Amino acid sequence: MRRRRLWWRLRWMWIMKSRMLEDRIGLGWRPALAAGILSNLDQIDIVEVIADDFFEASRSQRRALRTLANQTPVTLHGVSLGLASTVAVGPKRLACMARLCDEIAPTSWSEHLAFVRGGGFEIGHLAAPPRTTATLEGALTNLARATSTVGVAPQVENVASLIDPPGSDRDEATWVSEIIRGSDCDLLLDLHNLYANSLNFNFDPVDFIERLPAERIATIHLAGGKWIGAQGERRLLDDHLHDVPDPVYDLLTEVGARVAGSLTVILERDGEFPSIQILLQQLDRARLALARGRERLAVAHPQEVAA
Amino acid sequence: MSSSQFEAFLARIYVDDDARAAFLADPRTEATKAGLTEHEAESLTKIDRVGLDLFAQSLERKRRHRKQIRQGKGWRLWR
Repeated sequence: MRRRRLWWRLRWMWIMKSRMLEDRIGLGWRPALAAGILSNLDQIDIVEVIADDFFEASRSQRRALRTLANQTPVTLHGVSLGLASTVAVGPKRLACMARLCDEIAPTSWSEHLAFVRGGGFEIGHLAAPPRTTATLEGALTNLARATSTVGVAPQVENVASLIDPPGSDRDEATWVSEIIRGSDCDLLLDLHNLYANSLNFNFDPVDFIERLPAERIATIHLAGGKWIGAQGERRLLDDHLHDVPDPVYDLLTEVGARVAGSLTVILERDGEFPSIQILLQQLDRARLALARGRERLAVAHPQEVAA
Repeated sequence: MSSSQFEAFLARIYVDDDARAAFLADPRTEATKAGLTEHEAESLTKIDRVGLDLFAQSLERKRRHRKQIRQGKGWRLWR
């Protein structure tokens, strides 16, 4: 009996190992990191490119992006569509995304569950919309339109917020899950956004992960931030200018322990860049954190892994 | 809920200093003037003021940063 159990355990570990090979750990493409990324592609499984930077790019810039996509898997990440809104997404922006996807043939594309403009005002950043039935329905309409125009459903990302979205009648885990379940879109789960919101608005991030449809989590973002505001009124700002904090790696382990499907993990860094070696070390740390979760998954849910 | 109006109202108080000051001085009156529903106006009286202030400051920093980028002095920050 004991030998049989051991045999099954080894078998599931072997299956897990083969599945782990499908997990990808990559880095956000930034011009300042270009040389470092290109000279270390053997250690970077995938590169995430900000799509909007190429909407109005010159022919040579787009050719450069195609060259990059020919060398390594590329995923496109949008920041300005404003899909989580009761206002219809702009057809011109969607057409730009569709054209870029056609040209680059990314492994996937993604956008945020945010609104970015309203009444003629450009917010200039990702704003968390009121979490209501109206924004849920607006988001589902926009996501269907985006899917139809681009030809592939986007992955959708939870956003960080400094302000508790006014007018909300449900919590974030409920609202995000409703959007995922009501659409064809998988989730890009940004763990630093989740971590920041959990500290800013006092909820348990692991409970949040538990409440998501695990089978729909496809991509993970890792990033860092800093505390802002006066003592007693501080909030964690997701600024992408700092190293990934330890609890975010712990959350990656938690996700790895719950999601049986392959995951793509992207480290985002927008400035105050450390050396590429430091960033590669952070990718290694992400690999380790994910592997820890995968080990837990293999032990706890071997059937799920086999399926 | 007139949600598109509500989003427009939020966008305005996030980026317009004068509109935000007027709103914080009298949330219900400003919300009503903007044509929001009673329910929306009520929700805005309970707005997270600390978060609103920090978010507005953060947006202002990003606007300054983008201005520098346009002048070729930095790299873009979006999220």
